[in-house]
Amino acid sequence: MTSCGNPATEQDALMHRRTKFDKARVCIKCRENPGNVVIRHAVYCKECFFPMMAGKFRKTLEPAVNPVPDGPRKKGLKPAGNLCLGFSGGLGSSVLLDLVSRSYFSTYAGEDAKGGTDHPRNTSVWKKATVCYVEICGALPGTRDRTNEVRAVVERYKHFDFVPLRIEDAFDDAWWEMVGGRRPEAHFNVDLADEELPMTSAPAASTDSIAALRAYIASLPTQTAVPSTIQTLVRLLLLHTAWATESSHLLLGTSLTSLSVSLISSISQGGGYVVREEAQEEWQPTVHIGAKRTVRVNRPLRDLGMKECAVWAWWHGLDVIGKENILGGRQGIGALTKNFIVGLERDYPSTVSTIARTCSKLAPKDGADTTCVLCERPAQPGVQEWKARISIRSFDEPALVSPPPHLKKVLVPKRESQAEAAPQHSLTPRLCYACHTTLTSRSSRGSTSVSAHANSTPLPVWVVSQLGSGDGEQWRSRKMEESDMKASLAEFLLPDS
Amino acid sequence: MPPRTCALCANNRAMLKRPKTGQQICRDCFFYVFETEVHNTIIQSNLFKPGDRVAIGASGGKDSTVLAYVMKALNERYQYGLDLFLLSIDEGITGYRDDSLETVKRNQQQYSMPLKILSYDELYGWTMDAIVSQVGKKNNCTFCGVFRRQALDRGAAMLHVDHIVTGHNADDIAETVLMNIMRGDIARLGRCTSICTQGEDTIKRSKPFKYAYEKEIVMYAYFKKLDYFSTECIYSPDAYRGHARVFLKDLEAARPSAIIDIIHSGEAFEIRDDLKATQKAQQTCKRCGYMSSNDLCKACTLLEGLERGMANSGITDRARKRLDAEGPAPDNLRTIPFYQSPSGAASLAVETAPS
Repeated sequence: MTSCGNPATEQDALMHRRTKFDKARVCIKCRENPGNVVIRHAVYCKECFFPMMAGKFRKTLEPAVNPVPDGPRKKGLKPAGNLCLGFSGGLGSSVLLDLVSRSYFSTYAGEDAKGGTDHPRNTSVWKKATVCYVEICGALPGTRDRTNEVRAVVERYKHFDFVPLRIEDAFDDAWWEMVGGRRPEAHFNVDLADEELPMTSAPAASTDSIAALRAYIASLPTQTAVPSTIQTLVRLLLLHTAWATESSHLLLGTSLTSLSVSLISSISQGGGYVVREEAQEEWQPTVHIGAKRTVRVNRPLRDLGMKECAVWAWWHGLDVIGKENILGGRQGIGALTKNFIVGLERDYPSTVSTIARTCSKLAPKDGADTTCVLCERPAQPGVQEWKARISIRSFDEPALVSPPPHLKKVLVPKRESQAEAAPQHSLTPRLCYACHTTLTSRSSRGSTSVSAHANSTPLPVWVVSQLGSGDGEQWRSRKMEESDMKASLAEFLLPDS
Repeated sequence: MPPRTCALCANNRAMLKRPKTGQQICRDCFFYVFETEVHNTIIQSNLFKPGDRVAIGASGGKDSTVLAYVMKALNERYQYGLDLFLLSIDEGITGYRDDSLETVKRNQQQYSMPLKILSYDELYGWTMDAIVSQVGKKNNCTFCGVFRRQALDRGAAMLHVDHIVTGHNADDIAETVLMNIMRGDIARLGRCTSICTQGEDTIKRSKPFKYAYEKEIVMYAYFKKLDYFSTECIYSPDAYRGHARVFLKDLEAARPSAIIDIIHSGEAFEIRDDLKATQKAQQTCKRCGYMSSNDLCKACTLLEGLERGMANSGITDRARKRLDAEGPAPDNLRTIPFYQSPSGAASLAVETAPS
């Protein structure tokens, strides 16, 4: 119908609305069965949907399985270590666990094996698989502990070991030793009320890790910083667990939609330098622990939208527990970004995939030779100079070329505690832009509840370990005993006799 | 509750909460840090050299009004040695541009800066009112954006200036970073955070307010009692950009540093090396001599569509093919005057402020 008449008088003058899916209602793949689901303008029947989804999942994951990525997939999958899955209880990770189990950990055995003994379905690509869950109720008072529910779900899959963690483990020396870290000799507190983030030695580690976590959360300058901090702590707990279980791969159930949200959210928080790591990264602990190897973080659902995941879970009857909303309410950058992207997707359906595709074409501008002690991602040099230049926060700053004309004498306000204090060591130069901003950026709406711990906030164990390890800046000093000197020269000293 | 003292000078009473840092400071310290940050931006990027002739893109809105004031102040205070001009573009939108052009004319007198007003009608033979009557409100922003960019360059060439400064602020740049990511425009994403852009044979163009928050610009105008016109374009605004703007304002409300954080992100990444080679090389338009990625520049393509009664040919590929199928452009087609590079002599006299 191509009438150009007057729509006010002629009913036929209006063109028919274009349907949201392809012309036919028959499956685009088999062209026989009636379609059951519409995925981005294409119709699939139930039988064709499953192999399509499993195929996309494997196509994303398998090029990254072998130590040298992007090699030919036909030569077989030989990962360098075990497998670790980050499980949150949400839709993405539930689907991921199911897909990994179906694709790589066969439930068939012996003569009944379908596809021959060499088929990936019948051999375990990874020798050992671990599912790691981090319970975050310690950071969010009033939320429930879901560990037992998650355990029940994971135990339905035979081939996976379950490793339950708690977010407060990030402040627990015992957990740090369990994953191979060395118990730090000294502990430090940081003053989050001061933008320089000065550090002081703490007498001893807090034995109450949950109190340390809550002190850390309560000291954050804004509500917005809380979700970002929880995400960073969970990420590092998962990475260290993957490392401790000798896993070469850490898989996360990030769908295309969640990846786009996390990319925009990260960029909005100053994480542009690590935009590549947000999609895929190779990680190794900054503090030397054991042999030199890396954990490859992969998101095999990154080409599958939230809708595909939901349909897979529904048709397979997966038990999706759900997760706490850590993105924050109206004040969370993550929550704002999610609302924005999901809303935009309704009017501009290709936005989600465009964001992920655009970000995959980006690379950091300059090479980094340092790593952030908090998030353990590459840190861009010169960040503090940049910040000082673009926003003057004190008349003490070197970026100031001449004194303000309205003041005969510049009076610089000094905090009482700082005025006469001895020179302090600062955490600031060892943080990346995004982490420093999270710890210092204030809101005009006011901060989190004023914390009594803001001046002496404990730090996560991996941060303490790096500060005390002598990697990078060495700033603690102690008198060298004769035995220490002798030990350091042992291989050059000849025996007395 | 006793009045708070300024967080910077600890001397005067704090009058405002700075949107960028959240610090409570006095009015004089606000003026000082605002101007000094713009000066730092100019100095760090080596934007000017003594003797440069610089045109300030002036619309009569808040950004360009404050820019003209600050540029004049900094030029005198730090002895940049610049010859400053005001350059305005009249899009020909009845009721939208008239009042703001009056502001620009007042600025011309207040700051004793020569002013040049160049209209779309004069340059292209079309006003935006006429364009909208042909294309409707849906795609008119494409025409306006393309025509304005070229009009500024042409106006600057007429003034024989070396450099155009525009009032793009931090909010605009952060918004553009987000927009380019969402639209997949990696070429623009790679250059949108650059403070200064210059192609071969084009006039240098820069954004001294790159790190200045929109709210602070308004605050500066308010305390300095600068008058400007705040008028929304009467033709439909770019809906997609509108979504990005609302999102950015939400982010800023949650965390004021979000604007600067996005700019920092934009400065920290670049297009991957292997993709740079696939970018189109710059050439000049065969019809008007302006820079272009194709044989015809975007403005000539749009103008040809308007002249031949097929305005959408510059917007969609399908309409372009329809236009091509109708044969080559007729010889009597109205075209844009050939672009004179900035090295040529000034071709127009300028209105100067009365002494």
